Amino acid sequence: MKLDRRNHPEFKNIEHINIPIPERIELNNGIETFIINAGTQDVVKIDITFNAGGWYQEKPIIATVVNEMLIEGTKEYTSQQIAEKLDFYGAFIHAQPTKDFGNVTLYTLKKYLPETILILEDIIKNPVFPEHELNTYLNKRKQQFQVELEKVSNVARREFNEQLFGKSHPYGVKTKIEDYNCVSQKDIVQFHKTHYQSNKCKILLSGKIDKTVLALLEKHFGNEDWGFNATVESAQFDIPHPVKMETYIEKKDVSQSAIRLGKILIKNGHPDFHKLNIVNTILGGYFGSRLMKTIREEKGYTYGINSVLVSLKNAGFLVILSEVGADVAKKAIQEILNEVKKLREEKVSVEELDLVRNYMLGDLLRSFDGPFEISSSFKNIIDFGLEINYFNEAIDAIKNITPEEIIELANKYLHEDTLIRTIAGKYN
Amino acid sequence: MIKFDKFTLQNGLKVIVHHDPSTTLVAFNILYHVGSKNESPDKTGFAHLFEHLMFEGSIHIPSYDRPLQLAGGENNAFTTNDITNYYITLPKENIETAFWLESDRMFGLDFSQKKLDIQKNVVIEEFNQNYLNQPYGDSSLLLRPLAYKVHPYQWATIGKDISHIQNADLEDVRNFFMHHYAPNNAILSISGNVKTDEIKTLSEKWFAPIEKREIALRVISKEPEQLKARTQTVYRNVPFDAIYIAFHMSSKLENDYYVADLISDLFANGKSSRLYQSLVKTKQLFSDINAYITGDIDEGLFIITGKVMSTVKINDAETAIWEEINQLSNGNIDDYEIEKVKNKFESVYEFGQLSALNKAMDLAYHELLGDAERINQEIEKYRRVTKDEIQKTASKIFNRKNSSTLYYLSKK
Repeated sequence: MKLDRRNHPEFKNIEHINIPIPERIELNNGIETFIINAGTQDVVKIDITFNAGGWYQEKPIIATVVNEMLIEGTKEYTSQQIAEKLDFYGAFIHAQPTKDFGNVTLYTLKKYLPETILILEDIIKNPVFPEHELNTYLNKRKQQFQVELEKVSNVARREFNEQLFGKSHPYGVKTKIEDYNCVSQKDIVQFHKTHYQSNKCKILLSGKIDKTVLALLEKHFGNEDWGFNATVESAQFDIPHPVKMETYIEKKDVSQSAIRLGKILIKNGHPDFHKLNIVNTILGGYFGSRLMKTIREEKGYTYGINSVLVSLKNAGFLVILSEVGADVAKKAIQEILNEVKKLREEKVSVEELDLVRNYMLGDLLRSFDGPFEISSSFKNIIDFGLEINYFNEAIDAIKNITPEEIIELANKYLHEDTLIRTIAGKYN
Repeated sequence: MIKFDKFTLQNGLKVIVHHDPSTTLVAFNILYHVGSKNESPDKTGFAHLFEHLMFEGSIHIPSYDRPLQLAGGENNAFTTNDITNYYITLPKENIETAFWLESDRMFGLDFSQKKLDIQKNVVIEEFNQNYLNQPYGDSSLLLRPLAYKVHPYQWATIGKDISHIQNADLEDVRNFFMHHYAPNNAILSISGNVKTDEIKTLSEKWFAPIEKREIALRVISKEPEQLKARTQTVYRNVPFDAIYIAFHMSSKLENDYYVADLISDLFANGKSSRLYQSLVKTKQLFSDINAYITGDIDEGLFIITGKVMSTVKINDAETAIWEEINQLSNGNIDDYEIEKVKNKFESVYEFGQLSALNKAMDLAYHELLGDAERINQEIEKYRRVTKDEIQKTASKIFNRKNSSTLYYLSKK
């Protein structure tokens, strides 16, 4: 029989995805802890998330400095001693400050957990933020910040966020170079004291998790309350109506301009969210998306373009982002707007929708393949306090959404005239 | 220990199968033994441009991405100086889709002027985005030709110059395909919950009918020994000065490679590393510092690079780097420190084993180097490195005559 190279060999639609649900426990002191026991290797990852992001800071960049400097010295150990130990055990501690949270993550071989969890405990409970380390850190970061500002993508991102949320909202505020000169050790110590406590964190444990791992966690983080135990009023901020629909920051001598289009949208957890996420995927959420097809594969204006529904704890927004040839920035924006309009006006074909369904289900399958994939998939869900059956709802939405619903959602949320725009580079 | 089976089809295609029952997905990786080192000096950036064209439809299948996405799959590819590597992950039940797609584009591509023109534009924008429109982005384009005068590693995979991409024509593209893309120039590796018999059957069905092709003769001249220190100074619109020092080192097949890799870890892997502690923390001469090996198959480079603090003169920063280098070459190393970098290598290796795709890529790459079994000897090779070897290799590599220094200075 001759080989049929033209037709797709038989394949199966993904009918079932086994979503492992993390086990929820409470440590003795009440810390909410989620456990994902999976994988073949003897490795462990511990994520500890504090309500200690930029949202809570009274002075600029304090939350970031505290999070990133936990590792720079404790009552007992110097910055260098901590680094030596971690490297010797082949372990990693990453700090990841966001607008909402201060995250600290330990990756370690299980056999060294007794030693490495001790370091994790120490840097969280007993950091001292030595003055000389603080100065070194600030000088270094200040320079890195200036280099980052040379990139059009960063210029556009900062401006876009300010346009969306306003100058005084924590999600919109722009870090300035002067901010690095106004950080005092006193403020740092105070912020740590009020925000890094056992009653303001959640723990996510993944890898080869057994009784010994849990006992170690309990011993170092669960036995008693730790931290200053202050109650902090979480400040609330209003999101103003956008003042400017378009901002253009000129940057000479560039070969590409960075463009961003978007608007404030529903938060993750809203009943429309899962379905709107599918609409976004069609538009610019995967390699075969409409924006990729038009702006990259048909026009050749860019190396890549994406559309993302960004989820923050207290807001959600859409951003379409790309770096495009400097001479075609105007044309690219027009093409993007056309694609958004098309979503509102023309019904998605069954073929395209099937493709997106299958792609998204495949993508979900990938997000649960391995212990650390599972834990990063659940991280936001847990941090935001969303329903633990979140992904089953997502699967339902993917399987059941109709072309009519897509048009409806596009009209409800994505009118092209409501998108604000930011351009950094050249624009004419 | 990674277990695998290996077989070769009549047409020369090598196939490696690793059984990993922990995943519902399958990783399908195909490595072509062609990279930017196979380009001619007046047509650089071609291997990479060609990688883009591989996604533009093949003889029997007009769209590569669509059917794969329909089967719940995802794919990507990358080009290095030595290889071009394509990979797919998809649900295990749909593995035949991967065979169908990959065998058809090995069979033949559906070239057209229009597709070529579009991908030229896309690659030019990639050139802009990653090299020209980034602060310090062109440093690798400058450093390579300073260090290499003969060997084709003198150009980056993106190419020497945008004009080379602009000038590529359809004839070049066809020739490139026929001379480099062939079953006898490729290694397929698959990892997932699969059986070797099943993979054998599918490989026979989809790949065996593709005939052997004549592979372009590779005459790649060895880079002659560098006899004199080289320097270059450029001024750019960047906020701070930066320095890049490149040294010639061994090929991937020599023991010295592992020694050099560990030296780069001693210098700059992790916050306890020598250069970070001394030059960033204690002396505060740099805001960032790094040391790494390029990892090429032929004789590669050992690169030390850093961004200088605004208050520091670049010559002082350079002197400080050389002081650290000399410390090491003079044998100022203790056993604890060597143990530390070896532990770290082992740990990173362990974390890497979590991914079926990583394993598939590594298996194919080690097979290219001579034998996939090398994957299981890596840790031992690093473990065996001695203090004495570190000192010897350091003195050999870190010789001024063997150095090419790029001073990348701020115009301000």
